[in-house]
Amino acid sequence: MFMPRRPLIEVRDLHRYFGPTKAVVDMSFEVYAGEVFGYIGPNGAGKTTSMRIISTLDEPTYGDALVDGFSVVDDPDRVRRRLGFMPDYFGTYQNMNVVEYLDFFARAYGLRSYERKRAIEYAMEFTLLNQLAEKPINGLSKGMKQRLALGRTMIHDPAVLILDEPAAGLDPRARIELREMIGRLAADGKSVLISSHILTELAEMCHRVGIIEQGQLLAVGTVDEISSQTETRSEVRLRVLDEPDAVLNYLRARDDVSDIAFRNGHVILTHSGGPAEQAALLRQIVDTGFQVVEFASKTKSLEDVFMHVTEGRVQ
Amino acid sequence: MTTVPPTTLNDAAALGDHVGMPDSKWLQAWNWVEGRLSALAERANPILVKETRQALKSRQFTITFMIVLLLCWIASFVGIAWVGPQIYYAAAGPGMLAAYYTILILPLTLVVPFTAFRSLAAEQEENTFDLLSITTLSSRQIVTGKLTSALVQMVVYLSAVSPCIAFTFLLRGVDAITVGMLLAVAVLGSVGLSMMALLIGAVARVRSTQVVISVALVLMLAGAGWGLWGLGIIIISEGSAVYRQSEFWLVAVVILSIYITSFGLLHAAAAAQIAFVSENRSTPLRRWMMAQQACLCGWMAGLTYVVFESLGGGGNDFMAGLVIATATLGSAYWFLMGAMMTGEWPHLSRRVQRSLPSNDAWRPFVSLLNPGPGAGYLFAIANLTMLLLVSLAAAIWADAVGVTGGRPSIETAVYYAIFAWSYVVAFLGFGRLIINALRQWVYVPMTAAFLIHVILLLTAIGVPTVIQMTSRQLRDSGYTLWQMTNPVWTLGALAEKGVDNVQGDILILILPTAAIIALLLNMRSVATELLLQKTPVPVRIIEDEAEIQAAAPHRPSSPWDVDEEPA
Repeated sequence: MFMPRRPLIEVRDLHRYFGPTKAVVDMSFEVYAGEVFGYIGPNGAGKTTSMRIISTLDEPTYGDALVDGFSVVDDPDRVRRRLGFMPDYFGTYQNMNVVEYLDFFARAYGLRSYERKRAIEYAMEFTLLNQLAEKPINGLSKGMKQRLALGRTMIHDPAVLILDEPAAGLDPRARIELREMIGRLAADGKSVLISSHILTELAEMCHRVGIIEQGQLLAVGTVDEISSQTETRSEVRLRVLDEPDAVLNYLRARDDVSDIAFRNGHVILTHSGGPAEQAALLRQIVDTGFQVVEFASKTKSLEDVFMHVTEGRVQ
Repeated sequence: MTTVPPTTLNDAAALGDHVGMPDSKWLQAWNWVEGRLSALAERANPILVKETRQALKSRQFTITFMIVLLLCWIASFVGIAWVGPQIYYAAAGPGMLAAYYTILILPLTLVVPFTAFRSLAAEQEENTFDLLSITTLSSRQIVTGKLTSALVQMVVYLSAVSPCIAFTFLLRGVDAITVGMLLAVAVLGSVGLSMMALLIGAVARVRSTQVVISVALVLMLAGAGWGLWGLGIIIISEGSAVYRQSEFWLVAVVILSIYITSFGLLHAAAAAQIAFVSENRSTPLRRWMMAQQACLCGWMAGLTYVVFESLGGGGNDFMAGLVIATATLGSAYWFLMGAMMTGEWPHLSRRVQRSLPSNDAWRPFVSLLNPGPGAGYLFAIANLTMLLLVSLAAAIWADAVGVTGGRPSIETAVYYAIFAWSYVVAFLGFGRLIINALRQWVYVPMTAAFLIHVILLLTAIGVPTVIQMTSRQLRDSGYTLWQMTNPVWTLGALAEKGVDNVQGDILILILPTAAIIALLLNMRSVATELLLQKTPVPVRIIEDEAEIQAAAPHRPSSPWDVDEEPA
């Protein structure tokens, strides 16, 4: 089970304005060691801007972000030693092969001699690039480039990884491999802040998510937490052995039930209570004398939560 | 952990692997040299390593190198054929050397600097600059790495031409000192141009302007290359006689000091352009400005010494002229630098505030080197004041011992220094007040602030000039008090015609008063910057420092120390 230890990323009252455009507004959240934190929002929501600030590539207009206790504004050099950033583009150098590319970044992070050699070996092994050591990076496929970018991001063994759309443009196999790699990094105790448009994948790999729209963080927590915070109503599917009209009439008379419909032998309804109220509803239906065969409350997916929390606004 | 397939990288990194080393002393020596070179490469700037690898695989580099080599061969064959049998007794060396120098100067002044510019600009275009800037490389290391990789290219081009140049030494008419001077001019010129190109590459962040800047840079490099070629031809044609004159070496030292300090200033400026905003980007620049000021003082002192030595007590107008020259150079320099420094952003980052001195008495002086428009304003004024005081003191001393007399008089020199000082203090001060006022409403970047100063100066020169030139009564009346805001006319007339011609008795009241008013109006904000207190270092930083100290391994005392693989 995931046990939060200490926050490796602390975002505090972060604001970033570009003239009249408010890219990030009053954003605060924390990411703990060993946690994968999903960052979701529509295009232009401020995800990349806030990630760039945390990665010391941009400065906030107001507020601060701490990485392992160091301010990204005041101590970017200390932050950089602890942080790996994988942007949503792959920076290509001409006339370089895979191992030279990793070697350059290992040197740039101050790794020397055998320490560097081991770091390169580990990065290539982790990202399954062993067989491509001498291949020019311009000749790599999109998936291979993403692996190499991940290898570059983790070359100095940072405690914090910030991955901006790492799965964009990848085929299903590459996505699954990437998901596994990120899971292993989190299992090693690293904090991973990841943004993606592929919500099903984020739901699978993230311990918590933050939903952002128009620069504002609308909700933070696990999918269930956000779901319960933002929406208490849920869809319930019911099947009884009796004539449906009787149960439909019974339900219509109740105040806590709405949007009642009968489809494919099932009564579909919207219930405005939580799990305890749903249990009470079931007990009351049974006590009334209906023979209940099936009673299921639909679990909300990340997509449902996202669609509910956001309003599709862009700046 | 799996094993990586053998690569050139792995092979190169296998330091100290002397298993099966042959007994031959030569091979032992070779292995020793190889080990030291590997150790040196281990500690080389990462950008130098990367760019050298890239350059060696680059088609552009290979083609240029081959063209240089081919041209050298052609020049050799044609030259020898042209000179014919006379080669044994005719002075064919200078002509051949000029040909090789012409071939060399093209890649050194055009290809190498432009490649340096492109290497920094390409980082922006290829989206690799972000990746580079979040590594632990400092901005200075990035600039130095780019520059040293340009140096490596330079060395490769030189290696193509050097056998031919060595060949000219065997011919008549060329001596070693001429060849050395020629190569020094070519290399120093190329390094300087590369540094300038890197600064332009660092400034040109916007992709849309890159094409225009590239064209402008090529034109500038072509012009500079033409100049260096001309200088080289003069060196060849003059021969070595000039090197026996002490004046030549004095001038060479002056030029070298300008070169070194300007190079340092450009390097610091390029590093400042790509540094993170909270870093202290101003102090290194101000140190280099002080170095240039010290050089200016040195040149003046050297010039005084030479003149006094050669003329004895008959220096006449020399000292007054020296004060005027110093005041002109100093005020122009500090106005330009001050116009940039007063455009700095007024808020000192917490990071810089941590490094402020804790001593209250010492802080206002050290704070002049800190970032900030107020500190910059006072820094420029303080330096100009010191420069003028020193030169005036020297002139007054010379007057007292009876060295001076004649025109311009020492009185003119004193007036000139006071007026020049007043103009710089007033223009920078009022310009800064305008910038401060604008910053209440809009964002004023450093470039805009610099332009505000320039516009203010041009207005102060242009408006009274236009008024006087369009007035029938004033047009032919020479200098009038209408021109008191015009430093060019006022100082020019003062130096040329003396104090009375510019109504110096009136101006000596008006100009310094205006300067002091400007200074006083700025003092509140200047004092706010100078009296900023040192902020405590966060506990997390102290903890981190302690961790680093505790975990610090044995550090090599020199790049020749070879890392041993831990057991």
